[in-house]
Amino acid sequence: QETFTLRLAETWGPNFPIFGDTTKNFAERVEKMSDGRLKVRIDSANKHKAPLGVFDMVKAGQYDMGHSASYYWKGKVPNTLFFTSMPFGMNAMEQYAWFYHGGGMELMQEVYEPHNMLSFPGGNTGVQMGGWFRKEINSLEDLEGLKMRIPGFAGEVFAEVGVNPTNIPPGELYTSLERNTIDAVEWVGPALDLRLGFQQIADYYYTGWHEPATELQFLVNKKVWEELPADLQEIMRIAMRTASYDMLVHSQHANAEAWDTIQEDYPNVQIKQFPQEIFQTMYEANEKLLDEAASADEQAARIVKSQEEYLEKSRAYTNISERAYLNTMAEVE
Amino acid sequence: MRWIIKLDHGLAWLSIFCGWVACAAMILMAGNVFYDVVARYAFNEVSIGMQEMEWHLYSVVFLLGIPYALRTDGHVRVDVFYTRWSDKTKAWVNIVGAVLFVIPFSYLIWNYGYNFAVESYSMGEGSGDPGGLPHRWIIKSVIPISAVFTGIAGVNMVTFAIRVISGEKTYEPKHGAEGLA
Amino acid sequence: MIGMIMFVAALFLLMLGFPVAFTFGGVALFFGVFAEGMDLFAFMPYRIMSVMQNTVLMAVPLFIFMGVVLQRTRLAEQLLTSMGRLFGGLPGGLAISTILVGALLAASTGVVGASVVAMGLISLPVMLAHDYDKRLATGTICAAGTLGQIVPPSIILIILGDVLGLPVGDLFKAAVIPGVVLVGLYIFYILILTRFQPQMAPAMPDDSGLSRKKEILAALLAIIPPLALIVVVLGSIFAGIATPTESSALGGIGAIVLAIIYRQFSFKMVWDASKDTVKVTAMVFAILVGATAFSMVFSYTGGDYLLEEWLLQLPGEKWGFIILAMLVILILGFFIDFVEISFIIVPILAPVAEAMGINMLWFAILIAMNLQTSFLTPPFGFSLFYLKGVSPAGVRTTDIYKGVLPFILMQVFVLAMIVIFPEWFGMSASY
Ligand code: NA
Ligand code: NA
Repeated sequence: QETFTLRLAETWGPNFPIFGDTTKNFAERVEKMSDGRLKVRIDSANKHKAPLGVFDMVKAGQYDMGHSASYYWKGKVPNTLFFTSMPFGMNAMEQYAWFYHGGGMELMQEVYEPHNMLSFPGGNTGVQMGGWFRKEINSLEDLEGLKMRIPGFAGEVFAEVGVNPTNIPPGELYTSLERNTIDAVEWVGPALDLRLGFQQIADYYYTGWHEPATELQFLVNKKVWEELPADLQEIMRIAMRTASYDMLVHSQHANAEAWDTIQEDYPNVQIKQFPQEIFQTMYEANEKLLDEAASADEQAARIVKSQEEYLEKSRAYTNISERAYLNTMAEVE
Repeated sequence: MRWIIKLDHGLAWLSIFCGWVACAAMILMAGNVFYDVVARYAFNEVSIGMQEMEWHLYSVVFLLGIPYALRTDGHVRVDVFYTRWSDKTKAWVNIVGAVLFVIPFSYLIWNYGYNFAVESYSMGEGSGDPGGLPHRWIIKSVIPISAVFTGIAGVNMVTFAIRVISGEKTYEPKHGAEGLA
Repeated sequence: MIGMIMFVAALFLLMLGFPVAFTFGGVALFFGVFAEGMDLFAFMPYRIMSVMQNTVLMAVPLFIFMGVVLQRTRLAEQLLTSMGRLFGGLPGGLAISTILVGALLAASTGVVGASVVAMGLISLPVMLAHDYDKRLATGTICAAGTLGQIVPPSIILIILGDVLGLPVGDLFKAAVIPGVVLVGLYIFYILILTRFQPQMAPAMPDDSGLSRKKEILAALLAIIPPLALIVVVLGSIFAGIATPTESSALGGIGAIVLAIIYRQFSFKMVWDASKDTVKVTAMVFAILVGATAFSMVFSYTGGDYLLEEWLLQLPGEKWGFIILAMLVILILGFFIDFVEISFIIVPILAPVAEAMGINMLWFAILIAMNLQTSFLTPPFGFSLFYLKGVSPAGVRTTDIYKGVLPFILMQVFVLAMIVIFPEWFGMSASY
C-alpha cells in the first residue's frame, strides 16, 4: 500500500505549549488512524526560521501543510484576517458553529482557494486576556498616548481611542515593560503569559475583548490534498477537527492551572476590566473599521455580513443559555 | 591584460556603489532610531511605519554591505596559513573560493530570492500592522539584488586575483581597525 | 551523518583562509545540493528575511557605529588611557579598564557581536599601541565582549526563559552574581598575571611633570565625557527611554555630540565612520547568513534527529546527567550556534532534569554560562571571528585562539563552582 509523508511547518517554536501540542496530537492521530499509511513530519520555527512565512511556503509547495493563525497573513491577503478572531466578535462555541454550520468554512476556502491552499480550523485559545498594564485604566484619558504592544486589527481599534500601538521585539518585551519604555503588553492568556514573567512587573491584568476566540489554522497545499486518497483525506479532516477540539479543552485547563498559580504566587496581580465608556467607544471604532473594510472590498463585505448575522443569531441563544447560567451562578455564589 | 584591468575597475565600482548606498542607509538608520526614541519619549508619538523603516534600513546596511566588504577584503578569514602564503597562492585560494563558493551561493540566493520578491509583489504584500509600511516587495527584493552584487563581487575577486598573479597588483596586508574602509 | 561530515569539511576548508562566511555558505551549498537538491535553498530567502526582521540585531550596526565614532575621535583612547592611568604604576591597567567597560556595555546589550566588535574597535588599538601582548589583549576583549551573554539583559536568558518556561525576571536576577563573579575573576587573573609577567601588559607611562594627585585628577576629568556617554546609553535603558537596541542609537548620536563638543566633528568623519560600520556590519552578518545556510543543511539532512536520538541516551542519574549534559552542550557549542542549542537540545534535556528534581533556574544559568563559553571556543567561536574581523594585520587568528584559552578555563571554572556550590551564587541545585 502506498504511504504518504506530509511535511508540516508550524509558526511556533519546538515544544511550544498548547499550540505545539496540537500539531503533535494531529500527527499522532493521523498515523494511528491510517495504520501508518499517512505520516506527518513537523518542522518548528527553529528549523524553517520563517514563523510568518508558513503561508508562502505551503503555497509554493515547500511544505505540504502548515499550522499557524490566519490573521498573520493580513498583510498578504487582507481577507484572511477574519478567520482567527475579531474584536467584539463571536466566542469559541459560536465561532465553531459559524465555521461548520454558518457558512464560515465556505468563505474561508473561497479566500484561500486562489492561493492553492485549503484552510481548516486548527485549535482555539478561548477568550484571550486583554493584556498586562502597569497603571490602572479608569477612563478614556488614561488610554490617551498609552504605549502598548498590541498587533493587528485590535491594535487598529486601540489606535482609534488614542493608544499608541508599538512594535517591540518579543525578546525585549519584558525589559521594555519593566522599565516603562512601554506601558502595556498584550500576549495570550495566563498559561503562555506566565512564561514571559509579566506578572512580576505589572499589577493589572485586563480582561479580553479583542480576541474572544482565537482560532489557529491548518493549511494544506491543494495539490498535495488532491493527491491523497479519499480515505486519507477523511482521516486528515477528522484528525484536524479533533486536534482543534483538544486544543480548546487544553487551553481551558492550562489557563485555569496557570491562573491558579498566579493567584497563589503573585498576590500583586489584580484582574481589571475597562470601564464601559471605553468599551463603548472601542466598539464604535471597531464598527467603523469593519464598515471601511466592507465598503472597500466585496468579499470582505460578504464575510463581515455573514459574521455579523451569525453573531446576532447565535448570541441571542447564548444569552438565554450560557450567559443566563453564568449569571445564575454568580447570584448563587 | 588591459581589458582585465578595465573589467576589474568596472566591477569594483559596482561594489563601491553598494557600499555608498549602505553608508547612506546606515546614517539614516541611526537618525531614524534616534528620532523614534525622542518622538516616543518626549512627544509620546509612535509611528509603526517609522519603526518598520528601522529594520528596512538596517537590512539595506548589511545586505548591500556584503559585496562592498568583499571588494575591500573586509570579510574575516582564518589566517593560520593564509598570511604566510605568497600572493600567488592567495590569488589561487581566492579564485577557487570565488568560483566554487561565492558565485554559486550568490546564484542560488538570487534565483530563489527573485521568486520570493516576485511572490510578494504579486500579492501586493504590505505590513500587517496598523500604520505599517506598504510594498513589502521592495525590501524583499533587496535579497536578490544583494545576491547579484555579491556574485559580481565574486567575479571581481577573480579579476583582481588575475591581476595579482600577473604581478601587476599585490594583496595589501593591512586590514582591520587601522585601515578599515 | 552528512551534518557531521560537513563540519569536518568546513573545518579544513576554513584553514585555507577564504572568508569564513563564504566558506560556511559554500560548504553548505555543496552538501545541501548533493543531499537534498537545489530546491533546499528555496528556504534561504526566508532565513535571510528572519535575520532582517530580527530587530534586536539592529544593535550590531548601531553599537559598531558608536565604537567607530569613539575610535575616530580618539575619545575611546582617552577613556581607556585615563582609566589605565588611574591604576598608576600597576601593569595591566588597560586590560582591567577594558573588562570594566566591557561589563558596562554588557549591561546595555545582549548581542555578543555588537559588544565584541565595539570593544575590538575601542580598545584593541589602544592596548597594542601600549605594547600589550597580542594574546592577552585579544583574549581580554573577546571575554569582556562576550559578557553581554550572561549579564542582563541578555538574549540567551530570554530564549532560555521561553524554552524552559521560567520567568525572565528570575533568570535576570539569578545571572547577576555569576556575571559579577566572572568579571571579578577576569580582573583577578589580570592582576596575578601581570604581577609575574608585567611585560605582557606594561603600566601606563607617567604623565611627566604631574604629581600623582594631579595625575589622578586629570585622568578623572578625561574619563568623564566618554563615561557620561556610557551612562547615557545605560541610563536610557534603565529610565525606560529606550529599549536596549535603541539605546545603541543614542550611543552613536551621543558620540557625535561629544565629537562636536571636542571639535573633532566633520561630515567626513561621520561618513568615514559610516563606511567602517558598514564594512564591519557586513562582515558580522555575512557570517550569520553563511552560518544559517550551514545549520539549514545540517537540520534538513536529519542532523537534528540524530542529535535528539543521541541525547536521549544520557544517563538517568543526577550528577552524571548534569556533567554529561554540560559536556555535550560545551562540545556542541564548538559547532552549533546558541539559538539552535537552546531550541533543539535544551527541550530534550529539560524534562529529564525536571524529573530528577533539578532546580530549573539553576539548570538554566548553567546552560547560559556554558553557551557563553561556546562563543569563545575555537575553531567556530563567533566572538573570535568578530574580533579577528576588526583586528589590525599583525593580529593573527592563532593569537586570538591562544588568547582566549585562559578565559575559557576561567568560565569553565566558574561553571564548575556553580555546579558544586550553587548556594554561593544565591541558588539551590534542587527544589
Ligand atoms: Na547583556
Ligand atoms: Na563555539
